[in-house]
Amino acid sequence: MAFALQVLIDGLSLGSFYALAALGIGLLFGVLKLINFAHGAFITFGAYALILPSAATEATLGIGALPAIPLVILIVGVVVALALLSEFAVFRPLRDSSPATLMVGSFALGFVIQNLIIMIYGGRPKAVGLWSDLSAGVTLMEGVSVPKLQLIIIGVTISLMLALVFFLKKTRWGIHMRAAAEDFRMARMLGVKADLVIMLAVAISGMLAAAVSLLYVVQTGILDFRMGVPMMLFAFIATVVGGMGSLVGAVAGGFAVGMLSILLQTFLPSDIRAYRDVFVFLVVIVVLLMRPQGLFLSSAVRERV
Amino acid sequence: MLEVRDLHVQYGRLVALRGVSFSIAEGEIACIVGPNGAGKSTTLLTVSGVLKPTRGEVIYDGKPISGLSPEAIAGLGVTQVPEGRHIFTGLTIEENLRVGAALRRDRDETRKDMERIYETFPILGQRKTQAAGKLSGGEQQMLAIGRALMSRPKLMTIDEPSLGLAPKIVDRVYEVLTELRASRGLTLLIVEQSSERALKAADRLHVLRNGEMQLSGRAADLKDGAEVHKAYFGFTKEHSGEVMI
Ligand SMILES: Nc1ncnc2c1ncn2[C@@H]1O[C@H](COP(=O)(O)OP(=O)(O)OP(=O)(O)O)[C@@H](O)[C@H]1O
Ligand SMILES: [Mg+2]
Repeated sequence: MAFALQVLIDGLSLGSFYALAALGIGLLFGVLKLINFAHGAFITFGAYALILPSAATEATLGIGALPAIPLVILIVGVVVALALLSEFAVFRPLRDSSPATLMVGSFALGFVIQNLIIMIYGGRPKAVGLWSDLSAGVTLMEGVSVPKLQLIIIGVTISLMLALVFFLKKTRWGIHMRAAAEDFRMARMLGVKADLVIMLAVAISGMLAAAVSLLYVVQTGILDFRMGVPMMLFAFIATVVGGMGSLVGAVAGGFAVGMLSILLQTFLPSDIRAYRDVFVFLVVIVVLLMRPQGLFLSSAVRERV
Repeated sequence: MLEVRDLHVQYGRLVALRGVSFSIAEGEIACIVGPNGAGKSTTLLTVSGVLKPTRGEVIYDGKPISGLSPEAIAGLGVTQVPEGRHIFTGLTIEENLRVGAALRRDRDETRKDMERIYETFPILGQRKTQAAGKLSGGEQQMLAIGRALMSRPKLMTIDEPSLGLAPKIVDRVYEVLTELRASRGLTLLIVEQSSERALKAADRLHVLRNGEMQLSGRAADLKDGAEVHKAYFGFTKEHSGEVMI
């Protein structure tokens, strides 16, 4: 029982990262039909924004040295600014091109951002201690002690999701966004301001990326220019497993992939544990062979975005 | 109120409209009829700013609007119920109506308009929190019209409102449309494939074929039908004078 709870919390907290990243990717896919391969670079950029720009081996906290609230606001601001800049410089000029062109555009953008990071900060990983007291354990019940951070990650993820649901279901702009995601041309004919809706979706996607940046750095304590890539890859898999175009599916897929990784991590014999991800991908392939439309699309298709 | 002048529209190389001109007076019900591929939907989409003409222009209230974005044209009071209705199936009925009011800021008045639409189409009111995708074809047509009305348009264009609907439902749709003109002074531009029904409701009839306007005239003058038949099919109907198309 205690063991099961431990595994569950591990799985949920890893799944939280994937779910948040998958939401960021899924939102843009819904509105722009863009599979944003630069999302991982957004995440990395947000993490590096914590330290002062320098190629030195030792990281010096810049924004990261501020108190929590201004820190969060600034990091979110930086990533949202980067996302909006990408919208103006890349996504908008390519909006009327084919989805494939957009995708390649986002790939290129991701590379540009990644190489900018290498130019400014150097290519070597750096250690950063941010909010290290959060890794202290909390005893949940007899024999189950988890880092406070894991609970915070899960809590933040759930709160962000609820906020997004509220936004999409209850607010004027959220309803416009869902309408635009379903039928962009019709929404415009009814007076929905297309450019604003897209900018808003891009900004929210940036906010979600920033949340991943922060939580991930606090958890790993490491900055690496490649850090966003595996995150994005798993999030992308989560989106596909969940059913492309369904946000509910993206979130569920994120948690499913996280949970699966932790289960494999726990139950695989120790000598093949290092190949965990191979097994994750195997399961994903099997799932997609059985349900090419994704796990959740049939039931969630009406809940698009 | 609306004047379309020498409109040319292309899809890539394919020329869909080659010099279409017509005009609509305020409070009028105008109808464009024509066979498949005539360019009817293309005309409406160009009026709404979704397609850009390669030549010619659309003038609304004395100002050219062909360069404006669809949302800007909607803002001027021109709304469209497009072919296939394009209901937002994942949104509830009420949310669809709210999107129809996208340009409005007057919450209370918007609410009242929504109630009025529920009065006109009680089925929409009864099911307002349900996903719009669950409505039948006829109900979706009502919702599409209701949604368009939420913007308080001055000119409403409707593309094939009777498509795929039972005759009884079509009657109801036309009844509602004629009432709208009477109660709100709404100007209507209706596109249909068959002119029979349209001739009854319309003040003016335009026959479009092959991207060109073949005939425009007062519906009353065209009741005879032979002329319309020739414009529509491109050849004269030999036997009778009754409207068969
Ligand atoms: N998206 C498109 N891409 C390419 N060609 C198109 C497109 N839409 C329409 N066309 C072509 O333009 C011409 C006019 O089409 P349009 O849809 O305006 O006809 P229509 O009068 O509305 O016909 P229908 O009664 O079948 O709806 C046709 O030849 C059609 O094949
Ligand atoms: Mg058509």
